This record gives sequence, C-alpha cells and structure tokens, in this order.
Amino acid sequence: MSDLIPSIACNLDFDILNAALPLFAESRVGGIEWAFDALYNVEEIPVWFTDLLHVYSKERRLIGHGIFFSLFQGRWTIDQQKWLDDLKQLSTTYNFDHVTEHFGFMTGRNFHNGAPLNIPYSETTLAIGRDRLARIADACRCPVGLENLAFSYTIDEVKKHGEFLARLIEPVNGFIILDLHNIYCQLHNFSVQFEDVINLYPLDRVREIHISGGSWEDSMITGRKIRRDTHDDSVPAEVFSLLAMTIKKCPNLKYIVLEQLGTGLKSSESKKGYYDDFIKMESIVKKNLIDRSQSTDQSFLPIHSLQLDTIVEDEHLYQQQLELSFILESAMSHQEARERLMASTLVNSSWKIEEWEPHMLDTAIKIAQKWKAE
Amino acid sequence: MKLPKLLIGALVVGLAVQTAGCKKEKLPKTEAEKEAAKKNLGSCPACGMG
Repeated sequence: MSDLIPSIACNLDFDILNAALPLFAESRVGGIEWAFDALYNVEEIPVWFTDLLHVYSKERRLIGHGIFFSLFQGRWTIDQQKWLDDLKQLSTTYNFDHVTEHFGFMTGRNFHNGAPLNIPYSETTLAIGRDRLARIADACRCPVGLENLAFSYTIDEVKKHGEFLARLIEPVNGFIILDLHNIYCQLHNFSVQFEDVINLYPLDRVREIHISGGSWEDSMITGRKIRRDTHDDSVPAEVFSLLAMTIKKCPNLKYIVLEQLGTGLKSSESKKGYYDDFIKMESIVKKNLIDRSQSTDQSFLPIHSLQLDTIVEDEHLYQQQLELSFILESAMSHQEARERLMASTLVNSSWKIEEWEPHMLDTAIKIAQKWKAE
Repeated sequence: MKLPKLLIGALVVGLAVQTAGCKKEKLPKTEAEKEAAKKNLGSCPACGMG
C-alpha cells in the first residue's frame, strides 16, 4: 500500500470546493494544500471552511502554500514582516505539516498584485532567498519548501534551476515542490527532453509534486506555441506520464497535489474532468510504490540554528526589479519592451537580458500585464 | 481521509447557499466588489501565472 498522500489544492473558492465535494464524500482526499495568504481581504470565512482546515490540520495533513511573500524581493518591507507575523499566528491555529512558497519576485507595486518572475542566479539572490526561507522556517516551525518556477527566460536558467533550488534550501534542510506541469511548460518552450532536465533537480529533496493543466498561446514574435501554466484546464496526458516516471525517482516524496483554478471549474464537464484527474492521479500513486530503503528518513526540519540577526537586502537588485516590473507592465509591444530594457540598468548585468529568448520576454510581458494592479 | 459526515453536510449546505446567493445576485457590483471578484478569492494567482 502506498504511503504517498493524494491531495488537492483547496482554497476558499466555491468552484474548486464544488468540484472536490465528491472526492471529499468518497474519502479520497488525503491532504489539502491551502494558499493561506490568499484570504487577506476576506472579512468572513465560513465556519465550514475553517472546520475543513481543522480536520486536516488535526491529522497533520494540512500543508500551507504561500503566494505573496515575494521571496527574492531585494528590499525587505513591512508587508513581508506582517506576512511572517500572520504565518506565525496561523501556525498556532493550524498544524501545518509543511509550508511552501513560490520561487521568484513579485512584479507590481502592490503587495497583493503581480506575478512571480525569475531572478538572476547569483550569490546576492542566493543570500536573500536563504534569509527569507530561514525567516519562514522560524515563523511556522515546520518544514519549509520552495516550488520550481514554470517561467524562465533562457534554456540556461532551465538547466540551472534545480541546482539553485538545492543551494537555497540547504541551510534550512528544506525541500522542493516539483511542479511537473511547470517542467512540462519548459520542455515545450525550450524544446528540451525530460531526461535532460529532471536529473538536474535534487530529487532526494522532493517532498511534494504538483500536477495541473494549462493552456497554449501563440507567440506573436516567433509564431511558436507557448505553454502557459494557467491552471485552468484538466491535466494533460503527458503530465500524467511525467508523474509515473518521476514518483520512483523521489525517495522522500510525501504529497502529490492536484491543482486547478476555480475559473477552469465552472462547467459540469470540467468538474467531471477534475474528478477523473484525481482518480487517475490516485491510480498512478498506487501503482508506483517508492523504495523507501533509499529514503534518508528526512524530516526536512532545520538541523542548524537559523541565522536571523541581520535582514539580507540589496537595494540595487530591488531597483532593478522595480524597473523590470514597470517595463513589463507598461510596454505596449515586445519591441518597445526590448528597447526599454536595453536602455535600462539591467543591461550588461547578472540579469543577462541580452540572452532572453524573444518568446519568453513576450510571455513575461503578458504575465506581468495580466496580474498588474488596476 | 475520511471526513465527518456532519462536515460533509455542512460543506454541501454551505456551497449550495453560496451558489444560490450568486444566482440571485442581480444588483450592479460596486468597484470594491468588482475588484474582489477579479482577485478570485482563494485561487492561486502565483501558481496560475505562467
């Protein structure tokens, strides 16, 4: 019998909850992943939702997935401190089995708007990321992890992402969420093979796998189809194949999480598709038992004392992030974005904007403009 | 994981009430309500980015 936990991303979203209701009723949902910081402007949370959280919390099957912390933001802000304070408080209310955040810095000038975009893989960003992870670990007092990012500007970034994640989580003895749809996006967007990418990740550090669907978009620049991690459709067959191939490679895997946004679960057909996706995921999990003899009995709790005395910041990085966000959010065309970037402080820097693939810059513009504050 | 029947019942009722409320709503939304709806409460914009 598999000890892996088939789970769902479950937030206060009525379309998600309606789609998941049959799964809950059939006792299939082993764990729920909650975006705990997404309820910042909800005044009244229904009691039945908090009861749901408490039930999973009591069994230590509630995992927290932050959205808005902006891990690699160069300047420390009071919003980030409040985020940590809120997490600390929440961690006394709920027993999170672990807490995770997203890789990247959030565009936008408002803490609750924007999208996570990639950052240079440098000693500066490494130090900032490690500092922030230590603070999250201190706040939640449970294992802390990072999710791999779907978006990359270059194939070089794709190939270095796993190693950088491994270096980031090392001081907190942390773990990785391996989002297989994110990797699927990269396989298509950069024409690489799965085998060339997956072995570049620290697979013994994978505690959670995400699967989800997305969408295709035509690049106006190159004419190629771009795979977007939009979470608004059912899981592609190829991602289920990746799941079957990946499970056994991860000796410390615990959760497999099905994600889908409520915007993609409006119709009865989509809700049926969601149910079927969960059943398929469950079936793959049961068929692919992990050889736990290879497991390191990894708690993923910090081993060493956390270094929290000095907040690591880099104002130059922060100003570049603001500059990049502004250009991406306001550019009226790809050409304009490129011209403005080449005239910016990001030129000839660790950002390596000169090497950015045109179709990925195009995608970054669309992402930034989709999620910017009005 | 098996959930208490009472909780399942509460979920069913709670979601039904919410759905019924949404269907009845015909009044024009305020700007604040439009902004809140746009943010799609509880969804994960970060995950659905790319």
